[in-house]
Amino acid sequence: MEICSVTFLPDNVTVKTEPGITIAGAARLAGIELKMPCGGEGSCGKCVVRLTKKGTTEELLACQTIVYEDIFVEVPQNVRLGEHQILLAETEQNFQTKYDFEPLCQKVAVRLSPPSLYENASDWTRLSCELSKAVGGKEVVPSLPVLQKMAHLLRKSDWHVSALLVAQNGFYELIDLQPGMATETIYGLAIDIGTTTIVIYLVDLVSGKVLGKAGTYNKQAAYGDDIITRIIHCQSPKGLKQLHDAVIDSITELTEQLLATSQVVGSKVYVITVAGNTTMIHLFLGMDPKFIRLDPYIPTAAQFPIVKGKELGLETTPEACVYCLPAVGSYVGGDIVAGVLSTGMNWADNLTLFIDIGTNGEIVLGNKEWLISCACSAGPAFEGSGITCGMRAMQGAIERVEINPVNFEVRYQTIEGTPPAGICGSGLIDCIAKLHRVGLIDRAGRFCELDKPVERLRKTDEGKEFVLAWDWETALGKDITLTEGDIQNLIRAKGAIFAGIQCLLKTVQLDFSSLERIYIAGGFGNYLNIADAIEIGLLPDLPHHLYRFVGNTSVRGAYLSLISQTALNAATEIGKKLTYLELSAGNNFMEEFISALFLPHTNLELFPNVKSTTVVRGGNSD
Amino acid sequence: MAVEIFKEKNRSAVLEVVLGATREQGGTRTHTITVGGDSALPFYHFEGEIPNRPVVAMEVQDIVPEWNNALIKHFADVIDKPGLWAKKCVEEYGADLVYLKLDGAHPDGANRSVSECVQTVQEVLASVGVPLIVVGCEEADKDKELMEAVAEAAAGENLLLGCAETDNYKSLTAVCMVHKHNIIARSPLDINMCKQLNILISEMNLPLHKIVIDPSIGGLGYGIEYAYSILERARIGALQGDKMLSMPVIATVGYEAWRTKEATASTQEFPEWGDQEERGILWEATTASALLQAGVHILLMRHPKAVALVKKQIDQLMVSNKY
Ligand code: FES
Repeated sequence: MEICSVTFLPDNVTVKTEPGITIAGAARLAGIELKMPCGGEGSCGKCVVRLTKKGTTEELLACQTIVYEDIFVEVPQNVRLGEHQILLAETEQNFQTKYDFEPLCQKVAVRLSPPSLYENASDWTRLSCELSKAVGGKEVVPSLPVLQKMAHLLRKSDWHVSALLVAQNGFYELIDLQPGMATETIYGLAIDIGTTTIVIYLVDLVSGKVLGKAGTYNKQAAYGDDIITRIIHCQSPKGLKQLHDAVIDSITELTEQLLATSQVVGSKVYVITVAGNTTMIHLFLGMDPKFIRLDPYIPTAAQFPIVKGKELGLETTPEACVYCLPAVGSYVGGDIVAGVLSTGMNWADNLTLFIDIGTNGEIVLGNKEWLISCACSAGPAFEGSGITCGMRAMQGAIERVEINPVNFEVRYQTIEGTPPAGICGSGLIDCIAKLHRVGLIDRAGRFCELDKPVERLRKTDEGKEFVLAWDWETALGKDITLTEGDIQNLIRAKGAIFAGIQCLLKTVQLDFSSLERIYIAGGFGNYLNIADAIEIGLLPDLPHHLYRFVGNTSVRGAYLSLISQTALNAATEIGKKLTYLELSAGNNFMEEFISALFLPHTNLELFPNVKSTTVVRGGNSD
Repeated sequence: MAVEIFKEKNRSAVLEVVLGATREQGGTRTHTITVGGDSALPFYHFEGEIPNRPVVAMEVQDIVPEWNNALIKHFADVIDKPGLWAKKCVEEYGADLVYLKLDGAHPDGANRSVSECVQTVQEVLASVGVPLIVVGCEEADKDKELMEAVAEAAAGENLLLGCAETDNYKSLTAVCMVHKHNIIARSPLDINMCKQLNILISEMNLPLHKIVIDPSIGGLGYGIEYAYSILERARIGALQGDKMLSMPVIATVGYEAWRTKEATASTQEFPEWGDQEERGILWEATTASALLQAGVHILLMRHPKAVALVKKQIDQLMVSNKY
């Protein structure tokens, strides 16, 4: 069979392949990751590339176009999984850590008294006795390789050895023994597997210091933007394996990068903690998440065994023990448990609300006495997906908007100040707040009819749209617009989150006014403007000082669990204690949702501080 | 010792809406009709005032409708003359108001021109003295043009015009404001959507007492329980002071009842169901009477006998049960 060559521009990377593969497939071979929100179904129309052949250029969907000859493909920046503002550093909130420094992997140096005819216990009894003393009386069990070399090693080192102990459920495993006082450092990784991004901390387990942080896109994005699309992909042959491999790949790449910059070898990484939503952990462990998606939404497991890196294909750290933080239910996962753990709301006196805003909005309410959680599907609008000119929060994304109330001229601000390429979640929220404030949209999110035509407000076959940036200003030479459909999408997203908050509060018969602290977590959260979010009714109308951005609490929770066994135990406790409220089962979510599909809300009294800021337009006054 | 009976004290009341205008008021009606004003649950005379009786508007169309023969036969002589049809409804059948539906304007149907439709409205206005409800053909673009023209031609008559919906309430609201008519705010059967539309309309500065709610009821056997509970919630909201739920309610009783199989299936088809016309009448009257109990103020009806039954019931319900 003939071989075609596909050259990707501007990278100028060529791959040779058999005909019949899609351009998207070829791109993957070339190491170019495309954004494929619908998972290559051909339905989202986002994977547009330019195909040049014989002097003509055509725009085509990469996931639907089959390669059958030599071609040149230009991949525009906005189609790539590019650099992203991945939230590595948790904003340095000073959560007091109530947890003792007690890493999952420890090195213990012991001196044994040599055996004699009168003291003739076995080598292991001798050693385990000392080790157990050093770790607070917990049981220690040996691994076979250590037993095999133990006799000689103990004698050669004159009964002075360093033992490497890894915490298991309730006991320690002795995984290595070295002569004398071993000085090399031991390491661990704390990993947050997000649907969109993956973040890893490399941690020195002797000092507890974070040596390096790195983040990247979750390569599973090639199989769909959201969890549901990916679960569906799992049902195709090899689907589960592809998704498993994709996440392992992403982690391996990041790990290698981190280890290289810190000059650490992979074999010195002994423990890894992982936090992620329930589906992500299923895929990471290679479990089919199919039933998470189907009524009655049951995960295979919510607590996970400790496994070895190599069992999962983590070849860089094959011997490391991998701990996954427990989940609560199908849609409240270990990432949220990690969030509760790292914000300390599980021992707070104050009534605290924790919101992780992403494709799914996960919400936890409670304090040291009780915790209740729910998850509401907000859709990907906040991540800029499913929005005509939406994009993730990366370079060129419009993040702030000003609209002149008289002539409706627009001023915007983009991330890193480059020409706009699209609009991201925070930009969308700001934009909708401003459109309503100047009277261009009504409370239902529909464009108003104005007395005078507005140049930026125009009608297309698909309905009305507002031009945020004209083609000549933008990075792609196309107008950046916001359609009525986009606004509806965002209103549904914010409505779902707000309705979730209301349902939780009503379930425990409380209302906003009893909230004493609100944590906003998640990558998107940090770029959110509280005033805007309240103005559109995404967040409760409460004094701004109650709100606190806490960044990526998932990786922070994983980190805490890595350096403190008490924290890991606390996570297990949280997983068990957290009540899960299923919103689709017999409560008033739907009602709350519909009343939240309004700017800011059907019950305007809930937003007393927003009420007065809007202009009313439309209709001729008499 | 006398037993003290607990009575609910309501903070607020349903708003009153006045329909029609007499000569002195700038219109040509012989009288006006006021609906709403209740400060209690429906017909709880013992807990508040029910100052205005619910009213029945009989439906008239601008073209010959494809109605069941059990209906048509009562209007056979006038069915193609909207003016006389309306007159018959009022004089012979006792309609409190006329509900004129301009179905003929629909572009996919008879596609009557705007001016023809306006003429029909004027014809009906001329032939009866009662206030009028006029609604379009439910095709957004045509209705926009049509209702603008109707509103203008009937300026001063203080009509009730419909229907405004969330997707397109703006133009109708605007013409109601300019020409001083009342508006029907129609939402899907959902308390929040109903409220949202009222907020949207009132934010365009149409006064609240110019709005009548059409909650899109279901007919008997077709979701009437749900309609009942939504209406009840709206009434309770109004009594508790929620201004955005406090408008009087209109219900498309005739339309819903006469599209059920129970009302229209022939006697031959279901002999065990009894006489078809009688069934239809009862279906319409029962739908109406359930909705009356739920708090509807304006019943849009079709069959003269059903109208008679319901009017009789209204008389009885309006007898005070104060104690
Ligand atoms: S259309 Fe190609 S990924 Fe959605």
